[in-house]
Amino acid sequence: MDIVVLIKQVPDSSEVKLDPKTGHLLREGIGAIMNPDDRHALEAAVRLKEAHGGRIVVLSMGPAQAIDVVSEAIGMGADEAVLLSDSAFAGADTWATSSTLGKAIEKIGKYDLIICGRQAIDGDTAQIGPQVAEYLGLPQVTYVFDIEAVTDGTVVVKKRLEDGYEKVQCDLPALLTVIAEVNRTRYPAIGNLIDACGEQAPITIWNAADIGVMTCDVGLAGSLTHVIRTFAPKGGRQTQMLEGDTGTVVRTLLEKLRENHLVLTDSGVLSAECREGKLS
Amino acid sequence: MTVWVEADLCNGCRRCLKACPYGAIEFSGEKASVLERCTSCGACIEVCRQSAMKSDIRPRSVPDFSDRKGIWVFAEQRNGQLAHGALELLGKARQLAAELGEDVCALLLGHGVSQLAETLIRYGARTVYLAEHEALADYRTLPYTDVLEDLIERHRPGILLMSATHIGRDLAPRLSRRVGAGLTADCTDLEVDPDEKILLQTRPAFGGNVMATIVNRYSRPQMATVRPGVMEAHQRPGNEGRVVTTPVSIHEKSIAAKLLGAVREKKDAVKLCEAKVIVAGGRGVGDAGGFRVLEELAEIVNGAVAGTRVAVEEGWISADRQVGQTGQSVRPELYIACGISGAIQHRAGMLNSRYVVAINKDPRAPIFQVADWGIRGDLREVVPELVRQLKSEVRQA
Amino acid sequence: MIRSNAENLIRKSMARFVDNELVPKAQEIDEKGEFPRELFEQLGRMGVFGIRYPKAKGGSGGNCVLFCTVCEELARGLMSLAAISAMQSLMGTNFLFRFGSEEIKEKYFHPAMRGEKVACFCLTEPEAGSDLGNASTLAVRTENGFLINGMKTWVTNGPVADFYTVLCQTNPEKKFKGLNFFLVPADTPGLSRGKPFDLLGTRNTKICEIAFKDCFVPLDHMLGGEGQGMTNLLSILAEIRTMTAALAIGLQRAALGDCIRYAHERAQFGKTIANYQLIQAKIANMAVDLEASRLLTYKAARMVDDNIPCLTEASMAKYFATEAACRAADQATRIFGAYGYSMEYSPQRYYRDNRFLLYGGGTHEILQTNIAKWAGL
Repeated sequence: MDIVVLIKQVPDSSEVKLDPKTGHLLREGIGAIMNPDDRHALEAAVRLKEAHGGRIVVLSMGPAQAIDVVSEAIGMGADEAVLLSDSAFAGADTWATSSTLGKAIEKIGKYDLIICGRQAIDGDTAQIGPQVAEYLGLPQVTYVFDIEAVTDGTVVVKKRLEDGYEKVQCDLPALLTVIAEVNRTRYPAIGNLIDACGEQAPITIWNAADIGVMTCDVGLAGSLTHVIRTFAPKGGRQTQMLEGDTGTVVRTLLEKLRENHLVLTDSGVLSAECREGKLS
Repeated sequence: MTVWVEADLCNGCRRCLKACPYGAIEFSGEKASVLERCTSCGACIEVCRQSAMKSDIRPRSVPDFSDRKGIWVFAEQRNGQLAHGALELLGKARQLAAELGEDVCALLLGHGVSQLAETLIRYGARTVYLAEHEALADYRTLPYTDVLEDLIERHRPGILLMSATHIGRDLAPRLSRRVGAGLTADCTDLEVDPDEKILLQTRPAFGGNVMATIVNRYSRPQMATVRPGVMEAHQRPGNEGRVVTTPVSIHEKSIAAKLLGAVREKKDAVKLCEAKVIVAGGRGVGDAGGFRVLEELAEIVNGAVAGTRVAVEEGWISADRQVGQTGQSVRPELYIACGISGAIQHRAGMLNSRYVVAINKDPRAPIFQVADWGIRGDLREVVPELVRQLKSEVRQA
Repeated sequence: MIRSNAENLIRKSMARFVDNELVPKAQEIDEKGEFPRELFEQLGRMGVFGIRYPKAKGGSGGNCVLFCTVCEELARGLMSLAAISAMQSLMGTNFLFRFGSEEIKEKYFHPAMRGEKVACFCLTEPEAGSDLGNASTLAVRTENGFLINGMKTWVTNGPVADFYTVLCQTNPEKKFKGLNFFLVPADTPGLSRGKPFDLLGTRNTKICEIAFKDCFVPLDHMLGGEGQGMTNLLSILAEIRTMTAALAIGLQRAALGDCIRYAHERAQFGKTIANYQLIQAKIANMAVDLEASRLLTYKAARMVDDNIPCLTEASMAKYFATEAACRAADQATRIFGAYGYSMEYSPQRYYRDNRFLLYGGGTHEILQTNIAKWAGL
């Protein structure tokens, strides 16, 4: 069972802070980590390898510093890692990213399964998995929280829905996106981490020419969507502090809620719009 | 697009050799030549003083999309039930349509779902494209993608909106790649640019710390998924629409994924993502017993109880009830924050709440900055009083 | 070719383990006071115990700097686990690795690396602490092995260990030159464990007395050449002291981090105590102590890696970093005010745990005496 795992280095969002004056994101000094969902994807791959044998190739796209997440992936049990790093890849939207990753996977060549995390915490788009699957013409199953069985030519997984789950059988090769529920991740082995830092580490770095793409098809130049503006969310609601003794503030609060159509009904509190929109 | 050398102009200075980041220039004799590795990045063109490096790279131009018209909404349904998000999208689509002078179409896929077309029209669709087939009964990525691709090819819409549900987030990226369109995920606001007449798609990034507005100039349809609960659904009783049935041919064999079974999980508690009211507690609640008071309040208003990371770590509430960066993002109508200081990690998960009430002893707690109404006081007094007054209202009603 | 820096990568990885698995639970684990079996096994799976042994021989292939990095991070989370882990990685297994037969390695060393067996080191005796030449545990040669009789005390991991590396006297007249290390499996008849000591700190590190009564071990259980015990001990002493210094750095970081957080939270007279200069002075002193400890410790660690004799540097590092850890814990209990006196907050644990470092790897009185001598007195 040969598996390609897609991972991304992301800012450690728990450290993300806002400039209190401008409301802008302060990125300085923020650590970089392996995207949490991707860590679960890699763990899923390592467990499949332990059960069925095979090889795991980890693929990431990012600046040179992203070498740390692919090294960590080697530490967790990947056999080989490829880092796509080229200034031409910078500023890519998901279209350009999926083209680049798709090209690289074609170059890697041999795989039965591609596993990636559902989404990255810096973008939250959840688009790369399905777009890479389409690029490669593979079937996809998203929101996987249980990989039940891998048999000859098919994989049986459970896929999370908003109100339950589906059990799906999918032909191989296929692409899965997994959610955190799928497993508990291991910590990298120290010995593997040391190996990953050595000259002989099984880590390769590819640029645009290595995967045979035109610079106009990748990065910002190859993107279909573009960010034209970023701004701080309107953080300030007009906060109204309610004054008085406990009985009074609660009474005032309930009045305020009523003024805003948040009224008590048999089934609880619903706003006016919401009730109107409810299907009969 | 290629780069080549005019051999007559090349003086063999080798500047291009140094400038090429890809090792794609070779010198045979005193003349440069370009190898297959060339990515057309243009670095050599910039450094060549003889103008010997030539290329047919043209600055990117915006294609003519004047034939792309219509705002489409994917009408997600499961088991014959329309997702509310689809109706919300129709509401937004009508607004955009008015500004663009275009029509709103809904795409209804399934098996035995034609009766839903009427609802879609009532909520603003002018045309409903109906595709029915046994193989479309349950959502599966590939057949749905095939049908939508076919519809897009034939009718060439300008905009396509989907809900950012599990289905929408599975289907939209797949389809976008298939039809060569850019896609923006999880939008919270959609507007039309008055000059360019293109869609301005606004979405949060970094757990809501930053908002970004994104455009799609180079491809059609302009695709976006929208978080459910963000837009408003409006009934338009007089709206007239037509249903266009579209032929479907699907070979079951070509579908790589087979549905083996579906399980609907029992709801023992109102789900956080669906709750209209959330009563949330933080460190200030003090102990697990303190949460019982919050539960009582939640029960009266048919809401759900949630907690901060601290509350989960203390074991006062289970992990699946955590709101925030590392927990869930929620967008209830009303969020009642009890004894929560309001760290950014928590605020990121509840900022989309429609109304926020904060109860906290500390008047400087950051939670008050994101609250509509703030009560400075002990939640152990305020919450029971709220319960008492609500109960007496119910009795009067 | 771009490569990650091993020290950064391992520090980050261990820090993630510490922040997720230790910091949130340290208080609870300490209160329970049990040997942290699950965490111990987890560290084994992570290859932590093998850090000082070559990869080809079942280790993880790290050097002393990396070993100190790991010890420092673990100590930042939970000192007792760090102490157990250091014992397992160095003193408890070193002589098995260097002098053990293949059979011994297969049976004890490799399982210890994997976290399946607990290793341990018996040096101190009731009447011989710093004065090791006076050790009276006797190993008497028999036809096909040795008979061991005596008593060891302050045996870290003693109550839970699967095998012991025991310092014994084979020829009392030779004093230091009669000392040898022996491998004694826990199931050896005649070996008995005392009741675990009730300890002030590092309450998950189980310590007890071990009594040997006619314990027979075969010939190949003598680890190292005849009379080489003291030489072999000295060969790892610098590393033991450097490692102990790294543990002290971890404790300083934990205390400093908690103090800074608390100083930002705690408000008095309308502003947080971080605004008060006397608090700032304490924080500044802790920060300077920490930086100085790092310089001394990692200098010694690099010397160990470069095979440069560095017992002086290692002793200085251990002495300074540990004293600095005592100061840091003391200041933490002050910055926290009365909460520093409460068992619910962290400073009390740092205050108790740092005492452990004062004795392990040589008491400070002995260290000071030696340092003064080396300084030229």
